[in-house]
Amino acid sequence: MSENNKEPGMAYSMPKLHKIMAILSFIFLVTTLWVFLDDYIRPWKGYQVEALKIKRRHLDEQIKAAAKEIDAPKLAELNKKLKKAEEIVAGRKDDIAKAEKERKAVIAKIKDQTITNGILNGKVGAINFIYETSQANHEPKKATEKAFKELTILKNAFIKGKDDLKAFQAEDKTIVTKIDGYKKEITDTEKEIKEITNKLTLLELARKTTTIDPVFALRNLPFIDFMDPTIKIHQIVVNNVTDDRYFRQVPKVDRCITCHTLIDQPGYEKEANPHKTHPRLNEMVAIESPHPMKQVGCTSCHGGEGHRVHDFNSAAHMPDNDKQMKEWITKYNWHEPHKVPQPMLAKSQSEASCLKCHQGVELIPGATALNEGRMAIEKYGCNGCHKIDGWEHKRKTGPSLLKIAGKVDKEWFKSWVWEPKAFNKHTKMPAFFMQGNNSKPEFAKLNMAEVNAIAEYVWDKSKPYEPNEKYTGGNAEKGKELISQVGCLGCHGVDGLEDNSKKVKAYAGPWLSGLGSKVKPDWLVSWLKKPWHYQEDTIMPSMRLSDQEANDIASYLLGLKNKQFDELKFAKFNSANQDRVLLDYYAAFDTEASAIAKIAKMGEREKTLELGKRSIGKYGCYSCHNLEGFDGLSGIGPELTKEGSKPVTQFGFGIHHEVPHRRDAWITAHLQRPSMWDDGIDKAFKDLNKMPNFYMSEAEAKKITVALLGQVSDVIPLTGVKRLTANETIYHDGMKVASKYGCVACHQIDGLRGNILNMYLDDINEGPPRLVNQGHRVQTNWLYHFLGNVEPIRPWLKVRMPSFNLTTEDKNRLIAGFQQGSKQPTMEEPAEFVKWLPGEKEEAVKLFAAYNCVSCHAQGFTKDAPLAPNLYKASARLRPSWIKLWLKNPQAILPGTSMPSFFGDNGKEPIEPGYFGGDAEKQIDALTKYVVELGLK
Amino acid sequence: MLKELINKLADPILSFPIATFLFYLMVRYYKTFGSKKFGMWSVIIAIPVVAWFFADPNFFLIIKTPDNVPIGILLILVSFFTWFSFHKAAINDERIEQGLGPIEALPENREKVWSWPNLVYTELFAIIACTAFLVVWAIIFKAPLEEPANPTWAPNPAKAPWYFLGLQEMLVYFDPWMAGVVLPGLVVAGLIAIPYIDTNPKGNGYYCFQDRKWAIISFLYGWLVLWVYLIIVGVFFRGPNWTFYGPFEYWSMYKVIAEYNINLSEFLWIKWLGVAMPKNLILRESLGIILTLAYIGIIPTWVRKATAIGRKFYQDMGSIRYYIFMFLFITMMSLPIKMVLRWLFGLKYIVALPEWELNL
Repeated sequence: MSENNKEPGMAYSMPKLHKIMAILSFIFLVTTLWVFLDDYIRPWKGYQVEALKIKRRHLDEQIKAAAKEIDAPKLAELNKKLKKAEEIVAGRKDDIAKAEKERKAVIAKIKDQTITNGILNGKVGAINFIYETSQANHEPKKATEKAFKELTILKNAFIKGKDDLKAFQAEDKTIVTKIDGYKKEITDTEKEIKEITNKLTLLELARKTTTIDPVFALRNLPFIDFMDPTIKIHQIVVNNVTDDRYFRQVPKVDRCITCHTLIDQPGYEKEANPHKTHPRLNEMVAIESPHPMKQVGCTSCHGGEGHRVHDFNSAAHMPDNDKQMKEWITKYNWHEPHKVPQPMLAKSQSEASCLKCHQGVELIPGATALNEGRMAIEKYGCNGCHKIDGWEHKRKTGPSLLKIAGKVDKEWFKSWVWEPKAFNKHTKMPAFFMQGNNSKPEFAKLNMAEVNAIAEYVWDKSKPYEPNEKYTGGNAEKGKELISQVGCLGCHGVDGLEDNSKKVKAYAGPWLSGLGSKVKPDWLVSWLKKPWHYQEDTIMPSMRLSDQEANDIASYLLGLKNKQFDELKFAKFNSANQDRVLLDYYAAFDTEASAIAKIAKMGEREKTLELGKRSIGKYGCYSCHNLEGFDGLSGIGPELTKEGSKPVTQFGFGIHHEVPHRRDAWITAHLQRPSMWDDGIDKAFKDLNKMPNFYMSEAEAKKITVALLGQVSDVIPLTGVKRLTANETIYHDGMKVASKYGCVACHQIDGLRGNILNMYLDDINEGPPRLVNQGHRVQTNWLYHFLGNVEPIRPWLKVRMPSFNLTTEDKNRLIAGFQQGSKQPTMEEPAEFVKWLPGEKEEAVKLFAAYNCVSCHAQGFTKDAPLAPNLYKASARLRPSWIKLWLKNPQAILPGTSMPSFFGDNGKEPIEPGYFGGDAEKQIDALTKYVVELGLK
Repeated sequence: MLKELINKLADPILSFPIATFLFYLMVRYYKTFGSKKFGMWSVIIAIPVVAWFFADPNFFLIIKTPDNVPIGILLILVSFFTWFSFHKAAINDERIEQGLGPIEALPENREKVWSWPNLVYTELFAIIACTAFLVVWAIIFKAPLEEPANPTWAPNPAKAPWYFLGLQEMLVYFDPWMAGVVLPGLVVAGLIAIPYIDTNPKGNGYYCFQDRKWAIISFLYGWLVLWVYLIIVGVFFRGPNWTFYGPFEYWSMYKVIAEYNINLSEFLWIKWLGVAMPKNLILRESLGIILTLAYIGIIPTWVRKATAIGRKFYQDMGSIRYYIFMFLFITMMSLPIKMVLRWLFGLKYIVALPEWELNL
């Protein structure tokens, strides 16, 4: 066929070529359209339309509610009234028409005059320039005079013009008032109607912005949508926080609000993501919160790729648990983000980011998960072996071993080091031995040689200690009661008192278990009475126990025995094993033969001590315990300051493929069983993973993971971080002392911690006082004195304020911290405060009696048992301005306090209105003066 | 089992000689290779084999990545066009043997037609079809744009664009300036030089093999074995740390290969002579230098004098063309030679002068 169609000089038939061309053109057209569509269809557009519909639904509901709120009969009545008013006004139709005509004429005049004035103003300026120039240039007098003459005429005309304008405007105002007078009835009624319907009208206006109509469609059409789309990418550019683009820091660009459009608007809490309101709107995101989204952005806290809106995965969303992960996989085709240095933090981990900007503080109010993690780090003393910037002030977690020989038995010590949990299942001391990587017999025997050597070294260096008290026996029952009452449980868990111990979750001191199998009785009594006699820098305070009390407590504690442990005998010293371990050290930089020769030359004792010292260095015992010969050494573990930014590739997962290859998963797994990475790997004894096992629960490991994830290397510009003011720095330094000595174990300070209060949930007033704005409550000099000379303030309390062996420096930090935290002067002069007005004092005495203050504050007034602090001592202790606040509304300061609110919930309604004319302010003033004066006598 | 065997065979140590041997078979029996029957059976066999390969999760993981799609296309196109040219050549050679002349020389094939629309119009078709194809490709397989480059966290494996993977493979065996500068430079120079060196008038305008045997063999060896084969190795068999992985092997980050390479001078002085390395650099590397000079200087002359084919080439080309050709050819052949030496003896460099940044 085609052969016949071919023309001369043609290889193909033209019509066939044209057909091919047509088909190709069509294909090309289709692909071109496809390009546009592919570019146009974006998941976030769908979300924005969805959000629009949700918003509309909410507005509809609100409109319905608002319509219901309207008082219909009243509205009908007003509408009737409006009709009547319209009738009345209609009667003045002619007057109104006349006035309006007049007004038109006046408006025309005003416009005309405005133009005239404008022209004159320009002319005045121009002539003025000529005149001033001729003056300045000393031009001929004639020219100057001519210009001046002209200027004067123009200026006068301009002044007159302005005056005329004012006259016309006044005229206009008169007419307007007249017209308003004619229409008065209508305007008034309309105003009343508007008052009722205003909310509805506004809501309806808002609803209009959510309509999806042809204009909406047109603005968002493909290709046309470059002009003025309503569906578009929204972004926040945060100058205060930057993104590391490796070669430079660039301001953070977060486009999360492109999908999470309603995140900052209250009312959408129950919608599904991405249309949900932020769950902590008063802390974050909202414009009036401390972290408004326009200033902080989203990924500053959440992490992830904030600028990427391509799809769900591109933002590097991370699921919080397996269930969510499965849900996301089906819903969004979720997969683990690749090559993203910082994927989004899972929801339960997002508090980690607080640390980026909030440094130099112990705890961050509101960041519960993070605080718990940081407290767990402190509890286990991770910071001992692993440096963390900002944790340098922390004390060593374990007790000093400088005089250990005077406290425990060497045999006990060895068995203890070998397996601490066997003695005390609650101990924080981790297990170094019998772990997955070192439990096989050939390693265990070397470990035993190390433990033997460690014990020898420690005992060799231990200084002699003679207790300064003698155990004389006591009543164990009484001792147990005392332990549960005086406050030991704030820092210690105790066997036999598990219920309360578990409530308190004490972490500052060890859990007391099997003491009878551990310490020497005289040592214990001596320790209870005066802890610093044994260890100078201990944080263990004296509870000011009497000899009898101390003996009672000791009797109870010594009764706690661990029989199984008592029977343990630690492996005998083995010289060959000792040599074998020592060889590892000596052969590190030497040949084996020469190392063996060197060791052979050493005496047995010398070898043992050498190995002991090396082993303590190897396992980092000195990080938690004071030991001679290890001063100034840094911890043996890797630094954790930037752990949260450590590339995942630098974490060794060993053969554990079941652990997801993520930073958080590795840390959590590692904390639960650190030796796991050695599983299935052939390692020499000296190369084994040394991190000990804390037998942490997964929950605890996850808490610490959150805290460590926050340790990032991100560079935050100074303008972005929370910089503590001078006041705040002093406050937080004070809090560091409070946390070091365990003050916070008993006292809840400004709402944080106060572990022991969990024992007193039935009656919070039986527990140690909560310290709220303490710097304002007490006089700073009183607090200083009190810390050195504790005396009971609340006589009804069984729990005791201990006497701490505080250094002057620490005392000063503490009091300064409280004082600066409350932004108070050092003290308020009580005498200056007490300046009676005429007749005030007499009435104050009556008022004091009327409120019957002495029924509780009995001391010095009656013989009754006091239920409240001694008022005679108030002026030395409390600041007058605080007493006033306290009297006004004690519940606002300490919810649940037994101090009655005499002035109502608002502090303005005295329950005894018969005094000072019922003026709460005056009553409070008088009472305060009275109380303050009591102490001055 | 079979998969393990294929994994082993794919290692360049084995697969390179195999590829060379297959190349030899292809050229030796080109008429069989170029037959329609061979082509058909190849396709019939290839389909289930490819399906079997695809069914393997580890292989599929690699082949499915968007960057590797062009390699798949490359494989199909290269195989087809190579077969196609041999197919045509086989027919023509048959005819020439019979004294009929190539098909392209038949009178009906010598007729002339207008370039518009016959050429220009059809070229436009090709342009449109190609553009449409590329557009669809770009939409379906998104360009693998990744996160901003992080100098502290390079991707592993870090791979060149697919068309440069042959060069990257060369880096395993040569010093960077050789593999990255000299050899690619010579490739370009050599390709430019072809029309000046190859003055053989035969084969113009028709497919043939016999008439241009040596030209076709040396080009195809360089193209198929030294370029395409190395790209395939680079794409499919080089994983993290540029370690070799078989087609069915999982790319574990932690795979370790035992390799310790020694320089020729170290072989000479330490291993064979058992003495310390001389201080003098030239003396130290003398063996390598002599061998290299001999390779470049003596072989062409020796070939010219000692072999019949050398004499024929020299006669046909004249001395300048002959020596340029031989230089380019033996430089090309230095790659397989070096590869074999590396595999057999763990030879690092023949001449190792890091002091002068000169390693061969």
